[in-house]
Amino acid sequence: MKCQTILKKLFTLLVVSSVGWSANFEKVAEKKLFNGETVKEFKFQNGLKVLLVSRHQAPVLTYQVWFDVGSLNEKMDQKLNRTGLAHLFEHMMFRGTKKYPDGKFDELTSRLGSDKQNATTYYYRTNYFESVPSYQLEKIMELESDRMANLILDGELLEKEKGAVVGEFRRAMDNPSRLAWDELMRLVFTESPFRFTVLGTEEEIKGFSLEDAQYFYKTFYAPNNCTIIVVGDVKDENLLSLVDKYYGSMKPQEIPKLPLKDEPLQTKERKWEGKHPQATSEILLMAYRIPPVTDPEIIPLSLISSHLSNGMESRLRKSLVDTGIAVGASAGISNRPDIFEISVSLSEKHSAEEAIRIIDREVALLHQSKISKTDFERALNQELLSVYGSIGNNNALANLFGEYLMVSGNYLRGLEVLEGYKKLDSGDLQKISKKYFKKENRSIVIVRPSRKGKVS
Amino acid sequence: MIRVLVSLFCLVSFSSNNWVLAAPSAPVEEPQLIYEEDPSSLVSNIEVVIRTGSAEEPVGKQGLTNIFSELMLRGTKKYGRQKFQSTLERLGATLSVSVFHDQIVFSGEVIKENTFEFMKLLEEALFQPKFDEKELNSLKVEILNQISHIKNSNNRLGGLAIRQELFKGTPIEKPAIGTLSSVRKLQMPDILRAYNNVFFKQNMLFAVASPFKESQWKTALKEMWKKFPDGTPKTRRIFEPKVPETPTLIVVHKPKTSTGVLTFAQKGITAQDSERYALGIGNFSFGGEPLVSRLFRTIRGELGWTYAINSSYGAMGNLSYQPGIYTIVSTPSVEFTTKTLFKTLSSWQDYVRNGLRKDELSLAQESSVNSYPFEFESAQKRLGQRVYSELYGVPVLTQEEYEKTLDKVGNKELKKALKDRHTEKGWLITLVADKDVIAAQLAEEQKGMPHESQLKISKVINPSDLIQ
Repeated sequence: MKCQTILKKLFTLLVVSSVGWSANFEKVAEKKLFNGETVKEFKFQNGLKVLLVSRHQAPVLTYQVWFDVGSLNEKMDQKLNRTGLAHLFEHMMFRGTKKYPDGKFDELTSRLGSDKQNATTYYYRTNYFESVPSYQLEKIMELESDRMANLILDGELLEKEKGAVVGEFRRAMDNPSRLAWDELMRLVFTESPFRFTVLGTEEEIKGFSLEDAQYFYKTFYAPNNCTIIVVGDVKDENLLSLVDKYYGSMKPQEIPKLPLKDEPLQTKERKWEGKHPQATSEILLMAYRIPPVTDPEIIPLSLISSHLSNGMESRLRKSLVDTGIAVGASAGISNRPDIFEISVSLSEKHSAEEAIRIIDREVALLHQSKISKTDFERALNQELLSVYGSIGNNNALANLFGEYLMVSGNYLRGLEVLEGYKKLDSGDLQKISKKYFKKENRSIVIVRPSRKGKVS
Repeated sequence: MIRVLVSLFCLVSFSSNNWVLAAPSAPVEEPQLIYEEDPSSLVSNIEVVIRTGSAEEPVGKQGLTNIFSELMLRGTKKYGRQKFQSTLERLGATLSVSVFHDQIVFSGEVIKENTFEFMKLLEEALFQPKFDEKELNSLKVEILNQISHIKNSNNRLGGLAIRQELFKGTPIEKPAIGTLSSVRKLQMPDILRAYNNVFFKQNMLFAVASPFKESQWKTALKEMWKKFPDGTPKTRRIFEPKVPETPTLIVVHKPKTSTGVLTFAQKGITAQDSERYALGIGNFSFGGEPLVSRLFRTIRGELGWTYAINSSYGAMGNLSYQPGIYTIVSTPSVEFTTKTLFKTLSSWQDYVRNGLRKDELSLAQESSVNSYPFEFESAQKRLGQRVYSELYGVPVLTQEEYEKTLDKVGNKELKKALKDRHTEKGWLITLVADKDVIAAQLAEEQKGMPHESQLKISKVINPSDLIQ
């Protein structure tokens, strides 16, 4: 076993220096990653941030544009006070500018040879991304910057796009797991806007006006609310001069400060049960409230999630899947919303109550004694493998940085968590499990099949 | 897991037979290794490909290949299941198996420092599996639960219905995981016989991407490989789908859905098909490429009836020696289900008759050529290309060769290929939705049409029947 050697090599994160101003931007930091690569961070005068990892193994690059806006913002915004527009608007970003009318963006990026082009919206952020051959950098940047600055919002196209988004919404509603998640959020969060879904309701989607979309665009799609992440075959000078050319003249805007409402302390266990016509077996979701990703306690909590659900020897797999009670079981950390989530997809002849009893037993084991050295090492090395196996992929590395930047303001937070594991021992896991895995800190959602006689 | 790429375009011409040897027949002295070195990688990826898959299962034993392959990862003669898995996972490794109709692929990933310790465990699993009766029973329960759970996925139900109808009576009628009745019947003697039939030297291919030197792997693999017996590769059977001559609609009845899963299927093409470049280019702009295809832009973009719509020659996995199927799949909102059905049929008819417009053709060619470097962007992807090439006897094209090949495809070639390989109306269509809602929509949509030319529901299937 070479665990210690690996740990010693982990994350010699060297903050090299802050470098002086160029004409329009400054280098904020240059940091060496544990795999020997370097990430460089730049900031333009209009507030636009740029992250760059240059690697030249293949003549391709990933280009991602992240906006610090999601469904939370629209719900907290007094003018909007609904959800679903951030997501609908993400769709509208593909619907054309003066220079490149509807359909042209997709056609031109496709002609460039783009790979994995798409966009996603979540509670706290929206991202647009594609990979292209590296010689297409300027063209993709021109297209991305054009839709960021010059989008034309057309009423007729908005109505058409609502149809597709309603289709997406309904597809989600046909999925019992989706209902379970939505109900879990409503149960855990009584005040915070995390209790409202990213997709919104069908009524909300259909109700958004052109004015709402224009307001949203003007308010949140600004360079000082945006980060560009590039990983791949590109040189600093080339990238920065192009960013300056295409984004440098964009004007910063005042981004509304919309502080999240504090969620009151949970004092007793909460439970919701419901039925879904498409469910053929029961679904159990469980959430414990936990601190945000910036809190040091997130590190042992992450390792507990690996212990519980990573690999064939994980505790939930052995106690729920191997025994035939469940088809699948997993545990994981969710950041913003900050919960430790356990999800179980039951087998047809078994009930959520059985799974709850088994999870309670597993939690009691975590409370009563330290996990073995073997189990600790297993959980740790499985975590390392998942990062080591993906960090060489341009898209995966850009996603890792982008997600942590948006959720915590620190794009290296994910790697810091990994580094933090080496300071832990199994006693830390026991201590943290006692603090957070308590019934009064827990919410439970059960979705059962609508038809009777399916569950014994 | 190293993915064998589903690239239509990286292949060149190859003669087509109705049977083919599954592996080299001559005696072999060395293990067959395809290797990609990547000094920057922090992990090693190892695949062991067995050139026999679920299509060789005896009738009524569907799921046998899957269950014996999974059982190999649940304990060896030296280690019980818990010890085996725990040791493997402590190394920072994963080991899984995937079963396809023509191959079994064991895929391992391990942090580089522990690579050769992991290889000892892999050798144990492949050469000395325990095949424990208790583990078999436990695995059967797990697999039966997974099969039952398929009823929760409307997309999978639509695919199963297509497969069952088109390949009825053949070993690929059911998915590799098997059915409730076939898996229940499998016993240990079946498992042992199946293992002994496929694990021999000539049937094994090793594919590795790692930071180490190839010579280190050759030494390590030879030690493992020489422990296996010699064997004689089987001839592979080819199964042709039985496609109806006119549109035939089957409904998989699921009450109260908000969306329908609509799947159209015709006969597909093989990896060696001489028309595959033309058909690949055509499919890109007809329905294959999200956001820009004709189907996407009309049925989603213009009409807003569906969130997703896509067409593909890869519905049954990579192009292979089997012709497989060509599919168009969409998930329209329930009120637009039959509208989407008829619109898809008319779009197809126009495509088969007229091919693509000039701009659509150039879009498909330009996009395919410019995105070709992504097929080689990592050691794992390069390895995938080479493994695919080896398994199906087709060389990997350089960028220049690829560009030249696609340049030769014009609309004339596309129309010829469509005429040669497809029909205007020969569709099997499955729709996962509420049968009563669909019947009412069909009546409404076809009001005034002569009764004999109306599309009707030819069969209603209960989801449970698809997994029995």
